[in-house]
Order: sequence, then C-alpha cells, then structure tokens
Amino acid sequence: MNPFDPKAALLAKHAQHVVLIHFPIALFLTGVAFDFAARCTRKAALEAAARLNILAAAGTVLPTLATGILAWQWQLEGQKLKGLLLLHLALGCTSALLICLVAWIHLRRRKAAGSAFPVYCLPLELLAAMVVALTAHVGGFLSGVNVPG
Amino acid sequence: MRVRKRMRLRKSVLIFCVAASAMLALAALPTVEKSIAAGPPAAEVKIDNFSFTPATLTVKAGTQITWTNADDIPHTVVSEDRSFKSKVLDTDEKFTFTASKPGTYSYFCTIHPKMTGKVVVE
Repeated sequence: MNPFDPKAALLAKHAQHVVLIHFPIALFLTGVAFDFAARCTRKAALEAAARLNILAAAGTVLPTLATGILAWQWQLEGQKLKGLLLLHLALGCTSALLICLVAWIHLRRRKAAGSAFPVYCLPLELLAAMVVALTAHVGGFLSGVNVPG
Repeated sequence: MRVRKRMRLRKSVLIFCVAASAMLALAALPTVEKSIAAGPPAAEVKIDNFSFTPATLTVKAGTQITWTNADDIPHTVVSEDRSFKSKVLDTDEKFTFTASKPGTYSYFCTIHPKMTGKVVVE
C-alpha cells in the first residue's frame, strides 16, 4: 500500500493515519524551532511563524488521532493492545495533549497582546517535541519505515 | 517355619509386582510412539523481516499450520475470506490454524497489508 497513492489513501480503512501523521509532526517541530529562533533573535515575524505552525499542528492533531483510533478499531477490531502498539497509543495521546496545550498558550498570549510568555513555555515545547519525536519513532517501527534494511 | 514361609511369599509377591510393572511399561511404549506418530500433520510459517516464509505453503487437508512471529514488530495473520484470523502477535507468539477444507487461502497482516501469503490446501 503506497501512502502517496490517492486512491489507497482515501479508500483503505487504515491508510489515512499514515498519511495525516506527517502534518502535526512536521508543523509542530517546525513551530518549536521557529519559537526558539524567535526568542533568540526577538523577531516578530519568526514569532508569528512559530504561532501559525503550532496552531496548524494543533488543527491537524484531531483528524490524526481520530484516524489512528479508527485504524485500531477497523484493522485490529478494537482488540486489547499491548507492547509497541499500546506504547504508540499512549505516546500519541500524550503528544496530542501537549501540542494542544502549547497551542493554547500561544493563542492566549496572542489574545492578551504584549504579555510575556510564561517561563515554562519553552521547556514544555521542548518536552512536547521530544514526546512527538518518540511517538513518531515508535510509529515508524510499527509501520516498517524505521526498520533497517 | 511360618515366618520363613511369609518371607518367601512377600519376596515372590514383590518380584511379581516389579515384573508386572516392567512388562506394562514395555507394553505401553509402542502405544505412546504410535499416538505421537498418529498426530495431525503440521506445517510452520515464520514471520520475519516483514514477510511470511514460505510465502506460499502447500499442505494436505487436516494439516495444522503454525505461524510464529520472529519479528520485533507485532503482526497479525488474517485470511482474505476471514476463515482464520489471529490476534496481534508479539515477538515469539504463535497462531495455529487447522486447514480442513481444500482450497487456496490468501492471507495478510492487517497492520502491514503489504505482507501477504498463501496457503494451498489439497
């Protein structure tokens, strides 16, 4: 099954998750990188870019999470998960929560114009980025992308 | 005299018991071998490196087929017509299916649909 084949992506019951998952990962990690750059350079444009990327990541989290849970229900008929699959589910839910939390902090700051970012924002972003990367790594193993050879 | 007789009797009963047990054990031995030999024929499919080996397995009807996941990744074994369906198999877990009806069974892994295999039952 080729995830870049539109027919396979739209019609196969489980394939959408493998396609959609790339959006929150890429958008969030880029957003965090922009945010770190914005804090270092104090450029408003970078800060806006960070906010937009993180908000877009939060927007794509819900369909990604939904398709992941649907894949579990359809392909594995909702059977009790264990091992790597359970770890991926737990990490995925944690990642979704952390991305939404970071997006909410950025959104709240935007509304309260001029207010400073809370001190815990950057460490939280860093933690979220690490959890997202770990979730992606486990997901890559499960799909076979990360397997050597 | 009576004591001697009793001793002899006990000795002969003991010898009889030991001999009878030995004969029974010897008599049972071929039966055990026969029952092992008479078990259903078996075949094995190894799941490794995202593939089923052998990809096509030809067996006689009544053969017990065992899939063993030797991969580090969980896999499933599900036939396209759903005549057999395993749970998620973690590393070293097994799934067994007895192929009773002749025909061709195409199967795949639901987590990795690219992984396919075939069982031909004659």
